[in-house]
Amino acid sequence: MRIFLGSTVQVMLLCAFSLSMKQLVNVLHLKVPGSILGMFILFILLQTRVIRLEWIELGANWLLAELLLFFIPSAVGIIKYKEMLIDDGIYITVVIILSTAVVMACTGMTAKKIAERKGQRQSS
Amino acid sequence: MTALFSLVFTISLYWGAKWCYKHKPKVYLSPLLTVPVLVGGCLLLTGISYESYDAGAQWLSRMLEPATIAFAVPLYKYFNILKKHAAEIFISVFSGSIAAILSSMAIAKMLHLNPQIVESLIPRSVTTPIAMGVSETIGGIPAITAVFVIMTGLLGSIIGPIIIHLLRIDNDIARGVLLGTGAHGAGTSKAFEFSSITGTISSLSMILAALITLFTVPWILSVLPILL
Repeated sequence: MRIFLGSTVQVMLLCAFSLSMKQLVNVLHLKVPGSILGMFILFILLQTRVIRLEWIELGANWLLAELLLFFIPSAVGIIKYKEMLIDDGIYITVVIILSTAVVMACTGMTAKKIAERKGQRQSS
Repeated sequence: MTALFSLVFTISLYWGAKWCYKHKPKVYLSPLLTVPVLVGGCLLLTGISYESYDAGAQWLSRMLEPATIAFAVPLYKYFNILKKHAAEIFISVFSGSIAAILSSMAIAKMLHLNPQIVESLIPRSVTTPIAMGVSETIGGIPAITAVFVIMTGLLGSIIGPIIIHLLRIDNDIARGVLLGTGAHGAGTSKAFEFSSITGTISSLSMILAALITLFTVPWILSVLPILL
């Protein structure tokens, strides 16, 4: 029960922080979204120990564990584009699958090659 | 009333779907697939419009912002690992992000999709808020981009483990950059199933990819016509 209450309060704190970051971005006319700016600022506040990890850790873990839930309403939004999906859906799916495979292979192999080279240098 | 109902309905279905996925972790049981299909089906059957559903459900979408901010916590906890691997993370995410932009564009053009769909596809591999912003600046339709972002997340969390297996990618760092760069938040959610280090690397890659895309897309689009 105490953990539940703690998480709820911490999630609310993070929401309030998120709203103030949104305001900040609006006031300063920044091109970066408030959430990305907020993440950097929160990270700096944690590093400089202005904010202690235990003040927000439970809430943050809860938000990250339920991440998929927050994507669901936009996923349901697909039904608004029925016509487009009936006409071009297959082609769009092909683009996404092929391109995602290219991106993943490219990213993963680059990281793997660099790691292998690093490993060789350390062992020789 | 509908607003409250759609919120409660979505959350209960999500809990049910999560329970199923926990007992049978198969791709087709992923809550990101089952819940939207069920909710979408209900809306089409009952004739309730997406707008009245979203009046309540948008509160869930809004939680994406504090959730993105929450990534600061794993970032802080695993900062030492990140620092140690900064070079390989940066180089691979950079190459992946450029590959995402160019391959989406090239394949979409080859299949003769209309220009507005092509432009909406270009930023599809990064997290929703950034993808929608980029889409708007280059002449795409942000709402359609949001749909492509979700499709990428879903398809990416299916393809990701297959590619990891095929290319025998066995280290946490490479798995993390692959999932985060290729399939943003949904990929990161998958990455946490591998290990918490993989998940953290993935969340960092997702953020890095978003920033790289935000700053390079307008530049690539202005340079490309000159080169071709």
